[in-house]
Amino acid sequence: MRAVLADLVSFLLYFPLLSASLLFRGTKRDAPYEQVNDHPGWSHQNEDKDEPDKYFHESSFSEHYDGRFATAPLIYEDRQSHLTALLRTYMSSMRDIGAETWIMHGTLLGWYWSRTILPWDGDLDVMISEKSLYHLASFYNMSMHHFSLPGAPNEPRVRHNYMLEVNPHYKNSSVESVNKIDARWIDTETGLFIDVTTLRRNKTAQALGEEDAMMVKDRHHYYHDDIFPLRSTTFEGVPVNIPFAYAEILIEEYGEEALSDVHFLNHRFDIEKQEWRALRYAELVRYREHGAMLGSTFWGKAADSESYFPD
Amino acid sequence: MPKEQRRENYEQSLGAWRARLQATNQTRKPLIEKVTNTWREDEKFRVAEECDTKEPNFCDLDDENSFPSLSVKAIRSRRFRRMFAVLVLVSVGMYYIWTRHIRPSVQEGWELKQGFLPAQVNGTYGVAKGGHFDGVRIKDIDATYVPGGNKDPEGNRRLIFVGDIHGCKDELKHLLKKVDFNSKTDHLVATGDVVSKGPHSPGVLDLLIHYGAESVRGNHEDRLLEAAKTLSGSDNKRDDAMSTSKGYSKDAELLKELKPHHMRFLHDMPLMLRIPALPFATSSWRKDKHNIAEETIVIHAGLVPHVPLERQDPYFVMNMRSIDHKTHVPSALRETKKGNSKPWMHIWNWYNNRLAKGRSIKGFHIWSYAEWLNQRVTGSWISNSWSSMSKKQPQPQPQVAVYGHDSKMGLQMHRWSKGLDTGCASGGKLTAMVLDAKGKTEIVQVKCDSYRT
Repeated sequence: MRAVLADLVSFLLYFPLLSASLLFRGTKRDAPYEQVNDHPGWSHQNEDKDEPDKYFHESSFSEHYDGRFATAPLIYEDRQSHLTALLRTYMSSMRDIGAETWIMHGTLLGWYWSRTILPWDGDLDVMISEKSLYHLASFYNMSMHHFSLPGAPNEPRVRHNYMLEVNPHYKNSSVESVNKIDARWIDTETGLFIDVTTLRRNKTAQALGEEDAMMVKDRHHYYHDDIFPLRSTTFEGVPVNIPFAYAEILIEEYGEEALSDVHFLNHRFDIEKQEWRALRYAELVRYREHGAMLGSTFWGKAADSESYFPD
Repeated sequence: MPKEQRRENYEQSLGAWRARLQATNQTRKPLIEKVTNTWREDEKFRVAEECDTKEPNFCDLDDENSFPSLSVKAIRSRRFRRMFAVLVLVSVGMYYIWTRHIRPSVQEGWELKQGFLPAQVNGTYGVAKGGHFDGVRIKDIDATYVPGGNKDPEGNRRLIFVGDIHGCKDELKHLLKKVDFNSKTDHLVATGDVVSKGPHSPGVLDLLIHYGAESVRGNHEDRLLEAAKTLSGSDNKRDDAMSTSKGYSKDAELLKELKPHHMRFLHDMPLMLRIPALPFATSSWRKDKHNIAEETIVIHAGLVPHVPLERQDPYFVMNMRSIDHKTHVPSALRETKKGNSKPWMHIWNWYNNRLAKGRSIKGFHIWSYAEWLNQRVTGSWISNSWSSMSKKQPQPQPQVAVYGHDSKMGLQMHRWSKGLDTGCASGGKLTAMVLDAKGKTEIVQVKCDSYRT
């Protein structure tokens, strides 16, 4: 009798939980693993840890990977080329579709320094105009884009499938922490992705008389004329757009030093080659001892490290 | 010893004591009364007592060579008082000059120098690849337009620089009349922002094209050209943006008025216009603000000193107002959040003044490994003296910057920078700087109507 009662209680407790989770699963979660991945295995998404309303999830091992398509992060040397391919395919697809998109944040900083992705940057930041987002949501949600990419040297080209997934909360333009990402461009081979955020009118500020106030759901605020008209330039060898007042935006976000410091996160900017590279161990030790300077030591070290520590 | 005997002895001695005491009381006086001080009368101690020095007559007030008498005499003498007053005045004056002029300038110089020294920061502005410019970055002025140049042996030519015109066609016409503009001998150079704000942007462009004038690209031309790329072809593509941004809708309206040859003229505007040092001009007195004898760079907003022209970021060349004096990163704002900002021309003037004085810029930021090697070779004193004997290290030459953009600062005439934007479109003045073959400059201004809406 007592056992039966316990069973009943546990069943009554369990059932609503089950039904609730099934309900959320059906309406508010990113596309289920079984539907988007044709490889046998299991999902590495950390959806159980996220808020129930969150649509996009990240992998359990890194926030820069989609766990539905990856089991482990890429190594440092490989990540760079996959990110580059991710950006190129995104830009080319958006150009074909006619969507108005541009690079922002860390990606824009990489453009400013070297026209390439910063080597320590694990993700890419792009923005899209509201009109273009609605266009993507209406016609391109869950579309697969096939690219044949050059493989490693002396290897055949590899096929990569990229998926464009739009967040069903995209029409909600209020600031929120859970669904600030409006769309995602995902490399289904590696799980790397680009988060797409939308530049919207800031209706609150516009009601207060600031007519050209714009906002993004992740609490970034911009003026219309700082972003538009977009400038067209090149990045990673492909045509991209950047905001009009790129320098002001970078200083506003990262401070003046972001445009002048030649050392960052154990990387150093090579002025001759105009590119960032990771410091080798010996350089790292000297950097820790003598500090980071662009003085004669900087150039001297560049010369010494070439002779003492050949690649 | 028996007890009685001891007692007897004691009484005997006591009696003798008393007798002696009585005797002395009668004959002796207190000791103090014996003091006579006869030495005071002795002549040889007298001076020493009055003044603590061995020199005779030093403190004697009656002696006219004694110190107090001399001092009194000196104070009474007019010449001494005059000298004293002069001394006080000079020291007060020197103190004033030190606190008001020398110390601040030394301090400012020290502070400004920090921005050029690599040891102080982790890097400097101009190292990164920087912005992108669709057009000619640096254009050298046509040799025929150089006053006193090869094509002008008599030195009759003039260069007329005009500040931000902003579509004020009537004022421009008026100004050209006022400077007796003659298209045969004069060449007109605008500092950018010739369009927008005012009423007759296409008219101004037509006038400039008619006179064969040149202009560098301003932030308004830049915006217009970029907007044209997205707006051309369709009239309603960005209708949502036009209701958001007033500037955008105005640009769109203006673009409808502009003809292809206007757009070509806008697109051909270089970022910087370089004018060589005038052959007839002689470098005159250092502080002369009305003379240009050096190479001149025309830009719309500003330049960062010591950064090579080709490393200047186009956005800032067209928009800067201040520079962070530590990192040398410019800003379109007058004052940044950091609070390290100074008006860009302060640092520019300081740097070019230093170059003009021939002071060393060794240890300042360098831009390539070859440059560093070069400096290291000439670093030691032996090779230094050797190189000074054989061939001088190429030192950058000072340059004069002619610019517009900052109407709030008004007319800014300094030795190394000439700011010509005097806010014509908002009811200020339109300014021209006339430069003749001898390098003399003259400022001519006309009043403007206000077109502010």
